[in-house]
Amino acid sequence: MKRYAWLIPVLLLALIGFGPPLAAAEDVIKIGFNIELTGDIPDVGEASKNAAEYLKNQINNAGGFDVGGKKYKLQFIYEDNEAKAESAVSAAQKLITQDEVLAIVGPQASKQAVPAGEAANNLETPMISPWSTNPNTTKDRPYVFRGCFLDPFQGPVVAKFVTEEFKAKKAAVLYDIASDYPKGLAEFFKAAFEQMHGAGSIVAFETFTTKDKDFSAQLTKIVASGAEILFVPQYYNEVPMIIKQAKQLGWTKPIMGADAWAGGDLMGLCGDDCKGHFFPAHYSNVGAKGETKQFIDNYTELYKKTPDDVAALTYDAIGVVLAAIKQAGLTGKVKKDRTAIMEAMGKLKDYPGITGTMTFKPDGDPIKCAVVVKINNEGKFEFYKSVCP
Amino acid sequence: MPWGGALLASILQNTLNALQWGSFYSLIALGYCLVYGVLLLINFAHGDVYMVGAYIAFFVATFLLASGGLPGWVVLAVTVPITMVLTAAVGVTLERVAYRPLRRKGAHRLYVVVTALMCGIILENGNLALLGAASRAFPELVTTTVFSLGDVKLTNLKVAVIVVAIGSFLILETIVSRTKIGMAMRALSYDRFALPLMGIPPDTVIVFTFVLGSSFAALAGLLFAMSYPVLDPYMGAMVGWKAFIAAVVGGIGEIRGAFAGGFLLGFVEIMVAAFLPSTFRDLIAFTILLFILWMKPTGLFGVARFQKI
Amino acid sequence: MALLDVKDVTQQFGGLRAVSSFSVALEERELVGLIGPNGAGKTTIFNLVSGFYQPTMGTIRFKDQPTAGLKPNHVTTLGVSRTFQNIRLWNDMTVLDNIRVAHHSQLSYGFFGCSFRSARYRDQEKDITANAMKTLEALDLDQYADEFPKNLPYGTRRKVEIARALSIHPRLLMLDEPAAGLNTADLTGLIDLIGWIHKEFPITIWMIEHQMQVVMSLCQRIQVIDFGATIAEGTPTEIQNNPAVIKAYLGDDTI
Repeated sequence: MKRYAWLIPVLLLALIGFGPPLAAAEDVIKIGFNIELTGDIPDVGEASKNAAEYLKNQINNAGGFDVGGKKYKLQFIYEDNEAKAESAVSAAQKLITQDEVLAIVGPQASKQAVPAGEAANNLETPMISPWSTNPNTTKDRPYVFRGCFLDPFQGPVVAKFVTEEFKAKKAAVLYDIASDYPKGLAEFFKAAFEQMHGAGSIVAFETFTTKDKDFSAQLTKIVASGAEILFVPQYYNEVPMIIKQAKQLGWTKPIMGADAWAGGDLMGLCGDDCKGHFFPAHYSNVGAKGETKQFIDNYTELYKKTPDDVAALTYDAIGVVLAAIKQAGLTGKVKKDRTAIMEAMGKLKDYPGITGTMTFKPDGDPIKCAVVVKINNEGKFEFYKSVCP
Repeated sequence: MPWGGALLASILQNTLNALQWGSFYSLIALGYCLVYGVLLLINFAHGDVYMVGAYIAFFVATFLLASGGLPGWVVLAVTVPITMVLTAAVGVTLERVAYRPLRRKGAHRLYVVVTALMCGIILENGNLALLGAASRAFPELVTTTVFSLGDVKLTNLKVAVIVVAIGSFLILETIVSRTKIGMAMRALSYDRFALPLMGIPPDTVIVFTFVLGSSFAALAGLLFAMSYPVLDPYMGAMVGWKAFIAAVVGGIGEIRGAFAGGFLLGFVEIMVAAFLPSTFRDLIAFTILLFILWMKPTGLFGVARFQKI
Repeated sequence: MALLDVKDVTQQFGGLRAVSSFSVALEERELVGLIGPNGAGKTTIFNLVSGFYQPTMGTIRFKDQPTAGLKPNHVTTLGVSRTFQNIRLWNDMTVLDNIRVAHHSQLSYGFFGCSFRSARYRDQEKDITANAMKTLEALDLDQYADEFPKNLPYGTRRKVEIARALSIHPRLLMLDEPAAGLNTADLTGLIDLIGWIHKEFPITIWMIEHQMQVVMSLCQRIQVIDFGATIAEGTPTEIQNNPAVIKAYLGDDTI
C-alpha cells in the first residue's frame, strides 16, 4: 500500500486541475435534475429528460434566458437516482454540493421525492417535484415544491364540474373504504358537493373493500337512489368491473372518475363500456389548444412519441423555476440566490403552465386548474374542459 | 313510484344479485366439499385452482377468437370443455405431485393441509412470475343483454350463471348418490382401508374426486371471468377462503351443505351491503355465519361424524 | 398346485422382525386356522397376503401368480377377500350399499362409464342391486338392507362384513378374528355361518382366531405362530396337545 501513497496528492492535484472551469459560472444558469433514468420506471426518467432537453434547446437557441436584462445560457445536469430512495438522496447532495446547481427538478416518484426533498431542504436548495403527489414531499419543507395538484384537490374539481356540466344536484359515490386514495377523494368530493347543494345531496355513499369484485348490492342502491352522477375514485383495474355492473343494473347517467383512471391500461380492460365517461387529470394530450398543443406537436415531432403527463409536468416545473429566477434576480452568490429563488417561487402567481395555471402557496403546493378528460369514442382521453377549484 | 314498490324492486333485484354471487361461492365450495368429503383434506389450493381456471378460460377464448374468426357463442361452447379438462389436469397434478406422496408416506393430515396452502401460494406466484401483475380483460364472448322486468334488471349472463350453478349441483348430487364411482367416493370417505378390499383402486377414486372438483372450479372461473372480466393472480385467494367458509357453514362433506352454504354466504353478503351500511358488510356477514356455526357446529346440513382413532 | 403359496416370507419393520420365514400352502376349499398369542404377527401375515404390506423377503403366489408389487385392490380382484378384527364397514352407507360397492368392483372403473349413465349401465346397476340382495338373503340379512351398520348389533355387523367380503366372489376368504367381541349366542351362529359358507361356496377359508371353540370345531388344519415364526402345525387335536403350543400360550413356568 505504502508504495502507492505518493499517488494520492497527484490524483488530488489532477482533480483540481481538470475540474470544471469556474469562470464559466458567470453567464450560466445551472439546474439539476434528479430523475429516474434507470430502475423500475425508466420511462418516467426518459420523459423528464426529453422535456427538459426540449425546453433548454428552445431557450438556448433563442440566445439564452433573460434575467435582469442579462442573457444566461441554461445548463442542465442530469443525475440518475435509479428509482431508489438512497440514490435519490446522494444524487441531490451531489447536485447541490458538487455541481452547485441553483435548483433541482425531480425526483418524480414520491418514493424518491420524499427523501430527496429532505436533503434539498437541509441544504437550503429549492427543489420541485413535477409528479409526486405524496403530501410528505413538501410538508414542513420551505425549499420543496411540487408541480402537480394533490389528490384531495380532485374532490372539489369533480364537484364543480358535475354541477356546471350536468347541473347535478344529487350525486352518488362508490369507493374502496380500505384504500387511502379513494377514501380521501370520496370524502373530499362529498364535502365539496354538499357545500354546494346542501346536506343530503349525496344520496348514496357506498363502500366496498379492496379486491371485491361484486358491487351489485351497492349499485342497486345507487341506481335506485335517483343520483344524477356517480363518482368512482378508483384504480383502473377496478373501474371496468364497476362500470360494467352499473350498466347491467340499468345505470345510464354519466360516471366521473379520478386521475388514477389513467394509471394503466383502462381501455384494454374496459373496452366500450368506459367510453363517454369523465375524469380529472393533470393534463391531456388529445384535444389540447394553444401553447399546450404547440408543446405536444413539437415534442411528438422531436421524440416520435406523444408527451405523457410526466413530460408536461416536468416542462412546467422547469418553467416555474425559471420564472422564480427571473423574479428573484441573480447575484452570482449561489447560496443567496437559492434562498431568493425559493422565496420567489412561494409567491408565484398565475404562472401559465401547459398543464394549467399555477399559483403557489408558501407551503410548496400549487393551486392549479385540472383538466377534465372525456373518454371519447376512439377510447382516447380527450381534453374536455379546464376546471379550477 | 310508491315506497313499497321501490322496496320490493330492490329486494327482487338484490335476490338476483345474491343468486349470481352465491353461484360462484357454491361452485367453488362444491370442490372443497368433495375433496374434504373423500380425503378429509382441506384443499386450500382450491381457490387458486379456480383462478387458474379463469386464466385458462382467458387464454383459450382469446386464442380461439384470434385464430378462427368464429362467432362468440361457438368460442364459448368450445372454451367450456377445454377449460374444464385443462383445469382438471391442474387439480390432478396437484394431487399427484403434492398430496399423494405425502399420503403414501403416511404424513399427518396437518402436513397435507399445509402443503395445500403452499400449493395455493405457488400457483398464485407462479402465475405472477409467468404472466406478470397486469390485470387481464376477459373478452366478451356473448353480448350481454339487459332485460328489464319493471325496475328489476336481468342479464342473460346472470341467468346463465345461476342455471349452471344449480345444474352442476344436480349433476354432482346424482354422481355421488347414484353412480358406482360416487358410491366408491362415499365409501372411501368413511374407511379408506376397506375400499381396496372391494377391489376398487382408491387412487382412481381420489383422482376422480379432484377431476370433479377442479372442473367445477374451472366452470366457476370461466363464468366469473365473464361476469367480472378483470383477472388477476390473486382473484382466487379471497373468494376461495370465503367459499371454504361457506362450505363449512353449510356442513362440509355434504354436497347439499356446500351448495346451500355458498348461496347463503352470497345472500348474506349482498343483503347486508344492500340494506345495511356497506362498510360493515363482511363484519356483519361473518358474524351471522359465526352465529350459525355457534348454533349448529356441524353446519346447516352437516351430521356429526366421529372419528375412531 | 396350492391356491395360496407363501414361501419364507419375512417382514421387517425397522429393527423389528414381525414375521420371519413364514410359509404356508392353502389348497382349494380348505378351512385353515392361524393362531398364536397377541403380537405373534398374524394380522401382519394377512396384511402381507392382501397386499397392504410388501414382504421384505420371500414370495407370495396366489393362483400361481406372484403378488409382489400388487396393490391391495389388485390382489382383491385376483380373488382374495378379507374381514378385519375391528369391523370396518361403511357406517353411514346402508347395508345394501355396502354390499353394492363390493359388487361394483366386478365392473370396469372407466371414467366415462360411471359419469354417463348409459342404458347398459342402468341394466348393470339393476343386476348389481339384485345380486347384492341375493347375497344378503343367503346370509339371512335381507331385513337389514336399508339399515345403517352403525345401528345394528355387533354380531349382525360382523355378519354384514362377512357378506361384503363374499360379494367380490373370492377364492380365498381371510377372516381376522371373526369371533372377537361376540357373545356366546352369536358365537354359535358364527360357527354355523362359517361352516355353511365353507360348504356352500367354492372357496378356501383362512382364519385368525383366539376362540378355541371356533377354531377347534371348524378348522381342518391349524398353524401356530409365535414371534413371527411357525412353532407348530397339525390337526386341531394334535395342536391341542403340542407342548410348544401350550408353552407359547401359557408361558414357560407352567410346564
